[in-house]
Amino acid sequence: MGEAPLLEVDGIRKAFGGVLAVDGASFTVEAGTVTALIGPNGAGKSTAVGIIGGALAADEGRVGFRGDEITGLAPHRIARRGLIRTFQISREYPAMTVLENLMVSPMNQEGEKLATALLAHRRYRKQERELVLKALDVLADFGLYGMRDEYARNLSGGQKRLLELARSVMADPVMLILDEPMAGINPALVSHIGEHILRLREAGVSFLMVEHNLEVVERICDHVIVLAVGRTLARGTMAELRQNEAVVNAYLTGGGVDAGTAR
Amino acid sequence: MGIIVGYIATLGIYFCIYNILSIGLNIQFGYAGILDFTVITFMAIGGYMAGVASLGPEQPGSQIFYILGLSLPWPVALLIGATAAGLLGCAIGLIALRRLRSDYLAIVTLAAGSIIYGLVGNNSKIFDGFEGLVGVPQPFNGVLGLNPNSYALLFLGFAAVVMAVLWVAANRLRNSPLGRAMRATREDLEVAEAYGKNTYKLRMMAMVIGSVYVGVGGVLTIWYVTAMAPAGWGTSETFVVWAALIVGGVGSNGGAVIGSFLVAVLFNEVTRFLPGISSDPSLIPEVRNICIGALVILTLRFRPQGVMPERKARFPELPEASVRQEPAIVAEEV
Repeated sequence: MGEAPLLEVDGIRKAFGGVLAVDGASFTVEAGTVTALIGPNGAGKSTAVGIIGGALAADEGRVGFRGDEITGLAPHRIARRGLIRTFQISREYPAMTVLENLMVSPMNQEGEKLATALLAHRRYRKQERELVLKALDVLADFGLYGMRDEYARNLSGGQKRLLELARSVMADPVMLILDEPMAGINPALVSHIGEHILRLREAGVSFLMVEHNLEVVERICDHVIVLAVGRTLARGTMAELRQNEAVVNAYLTGGGVDAGTAR
Repeated sequence: MGIIVGYIATLGIYFCIYNILSIGLNIQFGYAGILDFTVITFMAIGGYMAGVASLGPEQPGSQIFYILGLSLPWPVALLIGATAAGLLGCAIGLIALRRLRSDYLAIVTLAAGSIIYGLVGNNSKIFDGFEGLVGVPQPFNGVLGLNPNSYALLFLGFAAVVMAVLWVAANRLRNSPLGRAMRATREDLEVAEAYGKNTYKLRMMAMVIGSVYVGVGGVLTIWYVTAMAPAGWGTSETFVVWAALIVGGVGSNGGAVIGSFLVAVLFNEVTRFLPGISSDPSLIPEVRNICIGALVILTLRFRPQGVMPERKARFPELPEASVRQEPAIVAEEV
């Protein structure tokens, strides 16, 4: 791969009815970085995440990941290439246990084949044991070990955020796209999740992170991409962007777009 | 004495059949969250196809018309019935599972059921219309020449074996990573997809497997009753299967068994054999429907998880020492 960026987003455009949510945004994410995607409400951040992850079809533009074009692939195919996205609101599998939530994530499990599941359940037992062991380790990392047998719906809001990260780790991602991973949680947990993200970066996972909390962005993100009215407005480090008048204006004024009409 | 044995055997057979139907629905709805509001259509297709596969060629003078008439042995007929139900499940899945959310999917299943009901009922050339099939040969009966009560006992054993096989398979599916992935699609389709699960394929699998189960239930029905007509598989029969699953516990095969016993056998079938009240012959069936409806309402109000709820997933026991328990990063407060 050499110098090529891990994720390339090139001129994506998406309209919902008359609203142009994303209007030609282009940006890249380098391997081994935590990159923030910021911008006022209605800048098109979540739409861009949806397009990258395959949940939304772009009207125009292309998305490349690890040198391959992934534009228009089904979300599960994109995930299998190692690009996992999380959702703006914690969406655990509520009526499954915490451990089970993690056990869903690993790709291509032997026991997911019908014939193996019905006729040769011994064949997947070894892999299952290894995955349980790994899942318990991951739960321990995130301080959720004690909750492993609890239904995921019974976790607190903060624990659900941690669970979201934990089950993403179980999928062995190359890159994680986090859509507001720290929304609605207390400051102590914000820094806690930030440390987990940095720990995972050290382990080789790259991040693209939609975030509103600029203090957090400054502390943990290597690069920042600013979107406004569906376009890339600027990119650089947080310190550079603080000097950028256009960025300051966009954040303060909403970029000239009525935030209530566009998402 | 003989008549009581025959009666109890008949109830046992209905228990097995309803059990198979509700486990099939459990695979569709309990595992994968597919709202199938036309369970009984799959039963009818399975029964009809097995019926015309085991019946002989239609007799020109008999005024009974049907397709095929292949005089096939029962194992082949069973296979044909199960396959037909699975194919119908696949066809409905093709229409409904790719794009539609659960509520619209439910409407599609309901519509498909009504269309098939109208098609089969009004076209007398397929399965003899509203008259239905009669005189379907029973497995073993031609060979052994038993009296009806002994045959009922024999058939009970046969149905129990079929049920046991399907029960084991359903539990293996439930406990496998495949079943886990299906439950994930039930819990949150979009998230399961974002974590690399081919949700369309998973749901199609659950749809088809469930349909095959229900189809096998239909085959057993037509063999035991030796007849099947559209009047016997209206929408209200689908409701009985749903009621059994809801009362027993959605997602739980054990619950499906208990529900089949409580709803389908105790309320539905036992009351069917009560002596009719001559002044008001429709009274008992109506009271029966009221009872089943009330049971569903009471369950949903006071025990929504059912008599025997879905149990938590169990994983292989691991030595505690092999697992680190302290977090990599200690939070001050979580």
